[in-house]
Amino acid sequence: MLVAGLAACSGGSASGSDSTYGFPEAKQVKNSTLTVWVDATRAPAVTAFKKAYPKIKVKMVTYDGSANGSNTFKTKMQLFDRAGSGWPDVVWTTQDYDSAWASQKDNGKQAFAAQLDSGLIPSSTLKGFATGALGPCTVDGKVYCLRNDLAQNVLWYNKTLLDQFGYSVPTTWQQYEALGAKVAKEHPGYIIGTQGDPWTPEIYMWASKCQANDVTGATTVTVNVTTNECKRAATMLDTLRKDGAVPNVSVFTPGFLKQYTGKVLMMPGPAWYAGSIFQSSSSLNVPTGQLGVAAPPAWGSGKAVTGDVGGGTWFISSHSANLSAAATFLKFVTTADGYQVDLAPGYPAYSAAAKKWIAKQEGSKYYATSLQPVVDAADQIWSGWGSAQFSQEAIWAKTITPAVTAGKNIADLLPTWQTAIKNQAQVDGYTVK
Amino acid sequence: MTVTVAPSDATAVADSGLPSRPRAATGRRKASSRSRIGYVFVSGYGVLMLGFGILPALYALLLAFTDADGGFAGFTNFAKVIGDYRFLPAVGHVAAYLVVWLVSLLVLVVLLALVVHAIKVRWLSTTLRFVFYLPGALAGASSVLLWLFVLDPSSSPVAPLLHAFGFSSFVQVIQPGHLPVIFAIIAFWTGAGGWIVIMYGALNNVSDETIEAARIDGANAAQIAISIQLPLLRKWIAYMGIMSLAAGTQLFVEPQLLSQASNAVVGNDYSLNQLAYIYAFTQNDFNGSAAISILLLIVALALSAVFVTRGGLFEKD
Amino acid sequence: MTTLRASRPPRTGIPVRTRGLAGWSGRGILAAVLIVFVLFFAIPIVWLLLAAGKNAHALLVDNAFSFGTLQDAVANWNQLFSFQGGAIVGWIGNSGLYAIGALLITLIVSVPAGYALALTEFRLRRPLLIVTLVVMLIPNTALVLPEFLELNLVGLIGNPLSVILPMSFFPFGVYLTYIYFSTSIPRDLLSAARIDGCSEISVFTKIALPLAAPVVALVAFFSFVQNWNNFFLPFVMLPSSSGYPVQVGLTTLLASTPAFNPTAAGSESVQLPTLALATIISVLPVLIMFLFSQRFLVSGMTAGGTKE
Repeated sequence: MLVAGLAACSGGSASGSDSTYGFPEAKQVKNSTLTVWVDATRAPAVTAFKKAYPKIKVKMVTYDGSANGSNTFKTKMQLFDRAGSGWPDVVWTTQDYDSAWASQKDNGKQAFAAQLDSGLIPSSTLKGFATGALGPCTVDGKVYCLRNDLAQNVLWYNKTLLDQFGYSVPTTWQQYEALGAKVAKEHPGYIIGTQGDPWTPEIYMWASKCQANDVTGATTVTVNVTTNECKRAATMLDTLRKDGAVPNVSVFTPGFLKQYTGKVLMMPGPAWYAGSIFQSSSSLNVPTGQLGVAAPPAWGSGKAVTGDVGGGTWFISSHSANLSAAATFLKFVTTADGYQVDLAPGYPAYSAAAKKWIAKQEGSKYYATSLQPVVDAADQIWSGWGSAQFSQEAIWAKTITPAVTAGKNIADLLPTWQTAIKNQAQVDGYTVK
Repeated sequence: MTVTVAPSDATAVADSGLPSRPRAATGRRKASSRSRIGYVFVSGYGVLMLGFGILPALYALLLAFTDADGGFAGFTNFAKVIGDYRFLPAVGHVAAYLVVWLVSLLVLVVLLALVVHAIKVRWLSTTLRFVFYLPGALAGASSVLLWLFVLDPSSSPVAPLLHAFGFSSFVQVIQPGHLPVIFAIIAFWTGAGGWIVIMYGALNNVSDETIEAARIDGANAAQIAISIQLPLLRKWIAYMGIMSLAAGTQLFVEPQLLSQASNAVVGNDYSLNQLAYIYAFTQNDFNGSAAISILLLIVALALSAVFVTRGGLFEKD
Repeated sequence: MTTLRASRPPRTGIPVRTRGLAGWSGRGILAAVLIVFVLFFAIPIVWLLLAAGKNAHALLVDNAFSFGTLQDAVANWNQLFSFQGGAIVGWIGNSGLYAIGALLITLIVSVPAGYALALTEFRLRRPLLIVTLVVMLIPNTALVLPEFLELNLVGLIGNPLSVILPMSFFPFGVYLTYIYFSTSIPRDLLSAARIDGCSEISVFTKIALPLAAPVVALVAFFSFVQNWNNFFLPFVMLPSSSGYPVQVGLTTLLASTPAFNPTAAGSESVQLPTLALATIISVLPVLIMFLFSQRFLVSGMTAGGTKE
């Protein structure tokens, strides 16, 4: 990997040459405005950048962040490819599978994503990310994006309520299921999780080592969800849903807030639940000193593995006319204290920032326990669930959620889920085993 | 209020009772300057028609029968598209939606037009027509957004009604089985008013004496409707049916927005047009997309041609 | 002319009088049907207007038909216009540009074309008329993807013309002008002018054009409404947010509304009442035109005998 001095590379590079960064650059225009595409949640990142670098002109455009398998990022960039101009300089996406297409040529046209590890971003920065964090960004050994946060799943719980009811934190999923039955009997109306979100499989199925998304190559994926691992998680979810302890509701709906504010005993979920749900004034708004976090439960006596829910990525456009400013932006937004430590709702993917984030969160005295389980869980993400070019969340939302709402069991729906994943993978060009 | 058609050319007006006039003598010799000026005047329109009517259709036809490298592909694209696991469900979705929508349109629009027409209090009739007509201003994305609010039990103005149906969350309302009805409701809400106004206008063509005579003969309102008014409206009803059928097959905006607003519980491949869009923009398969577009275009063309040649609402000259 | 059937014995269950509608239960059923449908059509609009004046909490909690406060309305307005640096102003401007641009082109080509189809003779006249009729009944969304493929070939994607030009192709407008000219201008007047030595062009400009004001208004109305409300075409042709018309811009706002897109909780997020306000603004020009245009619709329809 080249370590070219970035300082020597600002402005005035020759157009069309593969020279410096490993891709043909556009004509660089010093001081040109940086166009940044973010979703509403990442808007504070742009504001923080503008404050830290007032001399760099930034134009922010909001879009849906490619959420829920909408594929907006891909669709729009391909439209720009056809128009031949208009690409934004920096793009944020909530999905972790966009490098798969962005790193490739589009019908003969130049690949959208700028290669980052060929000098555009210093290798010292790249090395500072947590192990495996840049995995979704790496294609053929080259890095095409930077990871924003790790969304490792942990077990969030309300220590005050748990102590009050005399329950202990489960360390296995079997205990979790038993606790659900207890809660349903002794304190109906209280919940220990939700299963109505599109990322439900990434919390429960991934942690159970269910082989729903085993990406084995650039265009191969193995899908087998009728295994025991998948069945056990599905059956557990069905039981808990019937108890009422883990309802089929999505955490971001007004209905959830209306019914369950103050009644959430615990919730398995990603690190960003802390900022977006528990601490958020427009969500559960749990008071100080109540929220604790525990290690993700294990199945049986084995070591626990967990999944992750997103953790988006930042891209630089290979067509950008201001690569140095774009690189500055990317470095800031993924590593700087000004955003990742002070403002970001999730656990930063950049290790140094992550340590400070944990320290700051613990220093705020908001949490009732240490946040060490969050740090530990970052290394427990099961590698058997990869990132392909299609959205598992969209498949689950379309196939399972409506059926469950209509009263079916997830355990019975597993073959349907398998077919749906297989179909989607095939139209996206994968060979499914 | 209605403008009657003054026949000058051979205008066979719909059988509202006006006698048709004989064809005006067209025995003049065509002056060549007049012939040429005709071409000049239609040239602008002709260019647009060529560029945005005929050529796109031909180009899509070409793409549908070739493959990505430009070689002839026969029917492969069509086979691929029809065999796609999303194609038949999409056809089913659109078909279900069409059935619900067309039936409600045909029955309710006629009923409402008749009812409004029966009201003799002028201000009331005008107000009613205005209320029915106004939602037509919110076409496309705006009406879908509005109905997203109306269908969400937590923010809806008709929340008690939704709860009465047993829906307590948005996800319950947008269950796949309900979608054809939901889309039909949205389409009806925006589209019915205009047709009611048109039918009302057509009903005004019936002279009051005819209806009085029928009443004196002892017919009640229903019989008058069936034997006098409905036959008059028949051509308008057929027109409305065909237009709505053609427009309905092109369903796009409603499921697209609902997909965005429902966390993908409603898939973004619900309708055929969405599937064509996905082929073009996500799978980069323009040939497949063109194949779907051609299929939809053929349907619309067939309906249109049937109506133009057999409908009888247009004059033939 | 249909003949009347002989009067039948009254149906059971429905009291029949010679003036059926004057009966109480007849009126009752009538009224019930009307009330149901008035509510159906009116409630969403009334709610929308009221919703724009509330804050997010009030929208969920208060009675649906309570009035908001001026303060909340202003706050919603500010949130809408500060979204993405006032993007909505640009979007409305774009809508205006596309709608009016296409409208002008439509008028310029449709009026002469309708005149020529109605009042001149040339060999392609009849085929052109038939093609116009057939294409007119095809929904314009059917041609959007083919038009995209074609414009992609010539590299116009992302350009305002990629939206304006397809929208200017308005066969219904030509049909309206055709009907109008063939019914409202006596041929004798034209032949008299020609005998007097007027060239074809001055016949058109001196006689037909001055009389064309009503149909120009009619075509302008239909063209503007259709162009303003067009979603699929600009959605496909214009990738950049700064080029969106307001209808497509609504989808960006929707994407930033947490209630519908959960990952959108943040400083740029849009609350439901703001979305309601945006919806109202997006249809305002057309809504205003609809207030005064019922007459247009009826005269256009029955004169032309068609509807788009």
